Amino acid sequence: MKIAVSRDDALAVARATTPVRRRRLSLTTQRMLEGYFFVSPWIVGFLVFLAWPLFQSFFLSFHELQATSLTDLKWKGIDNYKEAFFIDARFVPKLLATLKNNLLDVPVIMIFSLFSAILANQRIKGVIGFRAVFFLPLVIGSAQVIKQLFAQGVGGATLSQGINVQELVYQYIGADAAAGVSDLLNRLLFVLWKTGVQMLIFLAGLNSVSPVLYEAARVDGATDWDRFWKVTLPLLSPVILVNLVYTIVDSFTDTFNQVLEYIQQTAFAGGFRLGYAASLGWVYFAVVFLILFVVIRITNQYVFYAGDRSG
Amino acid sequence: MAVLVRRPQTVDFSVAKVLRFLRKQTPAPSYLFLIPMAVFSMLPIVYVISTAFKPLEELLLFPPPFLVRRPTLDNFQDLLLATNALAVPFTRYLFNSIFVVLTTVMLQVLMCSMCAYPLSKARVLPGRNFIFGMIVAALMFAPQVTRIPQYLVVQKIGLIDTYGALILPALAWSYGLFMMKQFMDNAVPNELIEAARVDGAQEWTIFWNIVMPNVAPAWNTLLIFGFIQLWNDSFSPLVFTRSEAMKTVSVAMISLTNGPASIARQGAQAAAAFLMTAPTITVFLLRQAKVIETMAHSGIKS
Repeated sequence: MKIAVSRDDALAVARATTPVRRRRLSLTTQRMLEGYFFVSPWIVGFLVFLAWPLFQSFFLSFHELQATSLTDLKWKGIDNYKEAFFIDARFVPKLLATLKNNLLDVPVIMIFSLFSAILANQRIKGVIGFRAVFFLPLVIGSAQVIKQLFAQGVGGATLSQGINVQELVYQYIGADAAAGVSDLLNRLLFVLWKTGVQMLIFLAGLNSVSPVLYEAARVDGATDWDRFWKVTLPLLSPVILVNLVYTIVDSFTDTFNQVLEYIQQTAFAGGFRLGYAASLGWVYFAVVFLILFVVIRITNQYVFYAGDRSG
Repeated sequence: MAVLVRRPQTVDFSVAKVLRFLRKQTPAPSYLFLIPMAVFSMLPIVYVISTAFKPLEELLLFPPPFLVRRPTLDNFQDLLLATNALAVPFTRYLFNSIFVVLTTVMLQVLMCSMCAYPLSKARVLPGRNFIFGMIVAALMFAPQVTRIPQYLVVQKIGLIDTYGALILPALAWSYGLFMMKQFMDNAVPNELIEAARVDGAQEWTIFWNIVMPNVAPAWNTLLIFGFIQLWNDSFSPLVFTRSEAMKTVSVAMISLTNGPASIARQGAQAAAAFLMTAPTITVFLLRQAKVIETMAHSGIKS
């Protein structure tokens, strides 16, 4: 039934052209069915390859399963979870290290990406080119090759040597300062690699702040500094929340992540301990969800929703 | 954003002039930050390229020097030699990669767009909010963890060691759907669709001829993101396939470089790294303007 639109037309067409049996479907029902027809391929894929596996992994986390068939399951209750916390000497330290690293990195990423977005939002020559370059690390950053380079011991140190700063600092200021600078550069390098998406989200947010407000502030005698704190930041705060959530999820599901690597090893390399790996996965998710929940709860108090922004 | 205006259309001329003057006067401090940041961003790419041309003695130096001193093509020769020693001709890996990546990416984008269309534009669709909630939740799960039972599902359906195992699980892409929906919300006016419906257009025609052209930047972006992700993915082919003839280039690169002779193959490894990134960088550079345009408009509804 392909019927077009205004209700009267449609009914007329329907009366004229369709067999009697079909007329029973009301127009609304038809629309709905058509909608579901469009939605269904994705939903089927989602249910089969994502939702069902998720549910199953939760189920598996309470079982022991060595072979890769679901027939020889052994009920273990919460033993897997106990093992993760009290017996496995590697999991908890890895979890804590990941937490610490990410919680240190997230604020740096946020501030840095906001900073670069503001820079890249100016109307100066070549700014489009700069935006492209900032986005470039993202393109190869996730690549296997980069991971291999790091595995070979080619760390940020090697890369930041490319600009020779440490040597200069070493020669002119001293060894301690050089170590500090190289540390800073390495961290900065990683952060820069990760800020591509956040920067673009911030750019979109900055574009939606009305210039009228800036002019009003200027007329009232506000300095650039004032305008940043009193106009840009409050209006940007919903975007900051979106970005914060994205950054947290992104850094906790990163390919360099030790915990996820360990889970993968447990599942596939270390004798297919699927049940235990599933429970590790769920512990990890519980932690990530908890962090997200707290962050959203706290941040939401400071988010400024301008009256009719949604209108 | 009913009240707020995008461009200063009504701004007093003199204020606009002053602003323009200020902007012209003060680009220097911005460049002071922008240029170092750009240099930083380009370091890894420069390193990968320069390493591919290093002779063996430079590759074995520790710490590795950043730039090549005596560039050579030996590494590419080594890589050719190493690929000749593989069990399956290298072209087979290449065919697998190209076939799997292109098929997946196209189906992925089509399915995400199809699903996003009614979620964004249907007038009646019970369960819409529930579906969208599920998608947002699904965004948070790391693929590494769902892959454990995913393996079991793939095995149960009997897909192990087929192209299906490489293509089907990747199709329902949460991020793709999320992004397509945001874009359809923003970039396609409801009036346009209503008008088409009144004119008697079928839903598929509306979707294909009206909605899709309007969100072209969005699906172009997804094509590129998908390409990058799938091209670099070595996990699914490693786990979901068994025979060597079903593996992809990314897996072949790993086995090339992780073998017993891996130290002697440092050169081949560097050349392989270069060749692996080359296609993604090419794809990106070809469409970068579109991606950036798209990204700058996504994310937030205004």
